[in-house]
Amino acid sequence: MLTEFKIPEVGENITSGTAVKILVTVGQTVKKDQSLMELETDKATIEVPSSVSGVVKEILIQAGAKVNVGQVVMKIDDGKGAFAGDATTTPAPDTQIKPDAAPAAAPEQQSAPKEPTAAPDSQQTAKGSPGGIIEFKIPEVGENITSGTAVKILVTVGQTVKKDQSLLELETDKATIEVPSSVSGVVKEILIKEGTKVNVGQVVMKIDSGATASTIPAAQPASPTAQSTAAVPTSTAPVQKSAPTPQPNAPVMQTAIIVTKEVAAAPSVRRLAREIGVNLGEVAGTGPGGRVSKDDVKAHAKVLITSGAGRSASTVAAPPLPDFTKYGEIERKPMNNIRKKTAEHLTHAWSAIPHVTQFDKADITKIEKLRKQHSTPERKLSITPFLMKIVAEALNKFPQFNASVDMATGETIYKKFYNIGVAVDTPNGLLVPVLRDIDKKTVLELSQELNASAQRAREKKITIDDMRGGTFTISNLGGVGGTNFTPIVNWPEVAILGVARARMEPVYDNTGNFVPGFMLPLSLSYDHRLIDGADGARFLRFIVEAIEQPAFDGIG
Amino acid sequence: MTSPEHTKLVVIGGGPGGYAAAFLAADLGMETTLVDLEPNPGGVCLYRGCIPSKALLHAAKILSEARDAKEIGIDFGEPKIHIDQVRTWKNKVVSQMTGGLGVLSKQRKIKFIQGRATFLSSESIHIKKTDGTEITLTFDNAILATGSHPITLPFAPTSPRILDSTTALNLEDIPAKLLVLGGGYIGLELGTVYSELGSKVSIVEMLPSLLAGVDRDLGVILENRIKKHFSAVKVNTKVTKMEETTSGIKVTFEDKEGNISSEEYDKVLVAIGRKPNSKNLGLEKTKVTLTDRGFVQVNGQRQTTDPKIYAIGDIAGDPMLAHKASHEGRVAVEAIAGHKVAFEPQAIPAVVFTDPEIAWCGLTETEAAAKGREVMVVKFPWAASGRAVTLNRTDGLTKMIIDPTTERILGMAICGVGAGEMISEGVLAVEMGAIVSDLKLSIHPHPTLSETVMESAESFFGLSTHIYRPKKA
Repeated sequence: MLTEFKIPEVGENITSGTAVKILVTVGQTVKKDQSLMELETDKATIEVPSSVSGVVKEILIQAGAKVNVGQVVMKIDDGKGAFAGDATTTPAPDTQIKPDAAPAAAPEQQSAPKEPTAAPDSQQTAKGSPGGIIEFKIPEVGENITSGTAVKILVTVGQTVKKDQSLLELETDKATIEVPSSVSGVVKEILIKEGTKVNVGQVVMKIDSGATASTIPAAQPASPTAQSTAAVPTSTAPVQKSAPTPQPNAPVMQTAIIVTKEVAAAPSVRRLAREIGVNLGEVAGTGPGGRVSKDDVKAHAKVLITSGAGRSASTVAAPPLPDFTKYGEIERKPMNNIRKKTAEHLTHAWSAIPHVTQFDKADITKIEKLRKQHSTPERKLSITPFLMKIVAEALNKFPQFNASVDMATGETIYKKFYNIGVAVDTPNGLLVPVLRDIDKKTVLELSQELNASAQRAREKKITIDDMRGGTFTISNLGGVGGTNFTPIVNWPEVAILGVARARMEPVYDNTGNFVPGFMLPLSLSYDHRLIDGADGARFLRFIVEAIEQPAFDGIG
Repeated sequence: MTSPEHTKLVVIGGGPGGYAAAFLAADLGMETTLVDLEPNPGGVCLYRGCIPSKALLHAAKILSEARDAKEIGIDFGEPKIHIDQVRTWKNKVVSQMTGGLGVLSKQRKIKFIQGRATFLSSESIHIKKTDGTEITLTFDNAILATGSHPITLPFAPTSPRILDSTTALNLEDIPAKLLVLGGGYIGLELGTVYSELGSKVSIVEMLPSLLAGVDRDLGVILENRIKKHFSAVKVNTKVTKMEETTSGIKVTFEDKEGNISSEEYDKVLVAIGRKPNSKNLGLEKTKVTLTDRGFVQVNGQRQTTDPKIYAIGDIAGDPMLAHKASHEGRVAVEAIAGHKVAFEPQAIPAVVFTDPEIAWCGLTETEAAAKGREVMVVKFPWAASGRAVTLNRTDGLTKMIIDPTTERILGMAICGVGAGEMISEGVLAVEMGAIVSDLKLSIHPHPTLSETVMESAESFFGLSTHIYRPKKA
C-alpha cells in the first residue's frame, strides 16, 4: 500500500520550513522512525522521521524546497510483508520532542503525572480533622524497585516541610532517588535511621499535616500551589502571557541553563537537553550508573509540560511590552502570590485542555421556592448548595465528568468521590475551597460548610489542603451579574459549571403562550479530550432538568 | 580612510580556534571575515606550535628508535643529521598545512584579511593590513581568538642565545649544551627534540617535579627515561641569574637548601608558560572584561560581557589547547547562529608528546585528591602488556579514575608510547558516561596497547587476565 508521507506537526507555530536535506532516495528501504529529511524551521533543524516502514517510491520535493506542515512530500510503499514484523500502519508520525514542540504537543502529552496526582493524593492525606498525623510511606519509585537504603535523611523532627520537599535519599539498585513529601506539615517522628533498609510502602516518618495551618495560619494563604487556585474568570480577560519586565531592546548576555550537578550523559543528549530547554541536572538518569538517555530527557520534558513547570522554557516568549508611558502615566505593582499562581495555573489549564463550552438555561422557579422555604433570616440559603447536590448526582450518572486524563499512560482516572470546588471572590484574588463528599451531605450542611469556607477564604485562613482534591468546580457569578461566560476548566479536573445571573424571561409554555420564567443561564466548559460534545450537552441538560424538577431527599 | 565596510561575523585570529569558527560560520551561511597576521590561517598551532614541534618530535623518535634498536640486535651506526634538511622538511610540513587552510578558507568564500585588528567600539574594528592599508570594519558579531604568547623572563638578557618556543622551533642550529628553563610540556617536548638531535640538554624546574599537576605515577615513568638521556634534571631549583658571556649564557641556580651553583650553556630555552593575548586589542573600547590573569571573561556560550563579542581559545581561559579552542569556536558560532548550545565538555584531553607520551582526560587522581573526592583508581602496568613487550617499551601505565558508587569512568590517564592516540577512548568513555563494565565488556584488539584499557577495567573487578591479584580475605 502506498502511504503519502506528510510533514508532521513539529512544534507550536511552526507551519512551514525548508527541507534542507533529503536523507533517503527513491527505491531505498526505510524503517519507521528513520529520518527522511532534515527540516529547517525558524526554531530549529529537525530530522523528520518516517511514520512507516517501506520503500520510498517517490520524493515529491527537492532539497531546499519550502514545505508546509501537512504537505505530502514522499510516497512510501509499506510493502507486502517486506517488513512483516513491523506494525507500521500508524498514520501519524511519532514526532520526537523537539525545540519548542512542547506546547503544540500538549494535547498528547498533557497528562497527570504518573505519581498520584495532587487531587486524590491530598484527598487521602487530608482525610480526618486538620492537624491529622500522616504516616509517610516510601512511595513507588520505579519499576521493579521494592526496597532500598535510606542513605540520607534530609529533614529533622520538628522541621516544617512543604509538599514535594525531599525527605530522604533512597538508594536503590537502580538509582539514588530523593523521596519527596506527599504533604506539607511538621515532621513529628522519623522512624528510620540513615542506612536503614526500607521497603516500598513502609512507614518511615510521621508528619502532622494540619500543624502548618494551625500554628501559622497567616502564612498559608499567601502561598497556595497551582492546584489551589481555580479557573473562573472573575477577573478580566483570559490570562495573558505576562512578560515579567519589559524586554530591553539592546542585546543581552545570553542566559542559558547552567548544569551545576555532575551528570552522566552523552554529548548528543546534552545537546538535546539544551535544545528543548531541559536542565540535565534535574533529569533522573535511568541508564547504568545513572546515565541520562535521550528518552530520559524527553520523559522529563513531558513531566515539565504536564506540570507546567517548564512553561518558561517551552512556550514562545512573550513579545516585549510596548512603552506605555508614551501614552500616559502608568504604575507598576508586583502581583501577589495568589495572582501569580492563578496566572500560572490558568495558563496551564488553558493551554493543556481543549475547551468546549456548552450553554443552557434552567427555569429555577421551583428551586427558588424551595430555597426561600428553607431560608431564615439567620440562615440565608443560596442556590449554590442546591446546584452542588444536583451536580454530584450528574457526576454520578456521567462518571467521565468526575475524572482526570492521564495521557502519559493513556488512561482515564475515574474518581469514586464527589468533591466540588466553589470559586470564591476574595479581596486578595480568586480562591477555590473544596467541599468534600457532596453526595453524603445535605443541602443545609453544604450551605453551612460553604459559608464557613468562603469566610475562611476571605479571612486568609484557608489552607492549601482546603483547596485540594476537587473533582469538579462551580463558579457562580450570579451575584455579580452577566448573561453568561465561559469558565476555564480547573485542571486536572475535566469540567466546570459557570452560573450567571437569573432573570425573568418570557418562556413559551406547552399551550404556545408566553409565561414568565425565572431563567438561570448555565455554561459548562469541559475537556474535549475526554468528553464528547453530545455528552456535554446531555450532562448540562440533566442538570437543567434536575433544577427544573427539584427532587431532594431532604434539604436539611 | 574609506568608509567602513561591514561584515556579519569577524573572527580575529586564525588559529585552530579562529579558523574552525570561521569555517563553521561560513558553512552555516554567515558572511564571515577572518583576520590574522599570517598569510594563511593556522595560528601558533600550525606556524609555531603543535605542528612544527610534532614534526621535529617525529624526527627525534626516529633517532631514539634507531638507538634503541641496538638492544635488539640492529645497529644503524651513528646517524648523520643534516639540520638544514630537517628544518626544510619541518617548514614544508607547516606550509603545506597552512596553505591547505588558505585554500579551504577561499573555498568557503571567507574574506581573509592579513593584518592586525583593534577594537574601535563594540561594533567596529580597525584593521592595519600587512600591505600597509587600513580599514574600518563594522560587524554584527566578533569572535576574539587571538591566542597566547610565551612568557618571557624579565632578567633574561636579550640575546639570540635565549630561545623561546618559537625560536627554538626555528632550529637555527644544534647547541652543544642547552638548558631548558621550565619543566612543563613545552620544555619537555623541545628538550626531547634537541636532546635527540645531539644537544646535551639540562632541564631546570622550580617545583618539586616535572609536569606539575600530572599524576606522579605517570610523571615518574617519563622522568626515569628522561634522566637517562638528558644531562641533568634539576627540580626544586630556581634560576636566579642569567648573564651572556662571549661563549654562552652563564646561569646561576639556587636549590631548595639555598645552595648556589652556576653553569654555562650555549643556549637557554625559556619555556615557563604562556599568557593570553588580550592586550593592545582596544578591548577597553568595548564592554569586554578581563580576569585578573588577563583572560577574557566568557559565559557558557563563550559570549563576553559585551554581548556582540565572543571569545574562544587561549584568550578565553585554561587549558590552552588547540582542540579546546576549536570546540569553543564551533560553540560560539552555533550560539551566534541562534542554536541552543553551551561549552560543556566532560573531558578535555591533554597530551604531552614526550617519549614516552603522557595523556589524560577528565578527572585525574591528583584533582580527585585535591577535591577530597572519593574515587577508585585502577592501574594496568604495561609490563603485563604483550604489545608493550614486543615494542620493547614496557615503560607505561594505564589508569582509570572511577566513581565507586556509580562505577562511572570519571577520568583516564596513560603514560607510554602512543598514549596520545589511546586517550580518545577515555574521552569517549567519560563523555558517554560509560561505566567500567562497558569498557571491560568491549572487545579490544590483540595485540595492541589499547588492551591495557580493557584490562585496567577488568582489574576493577579483580579479574584482569594478565595480572594475578590474590583475592583479599
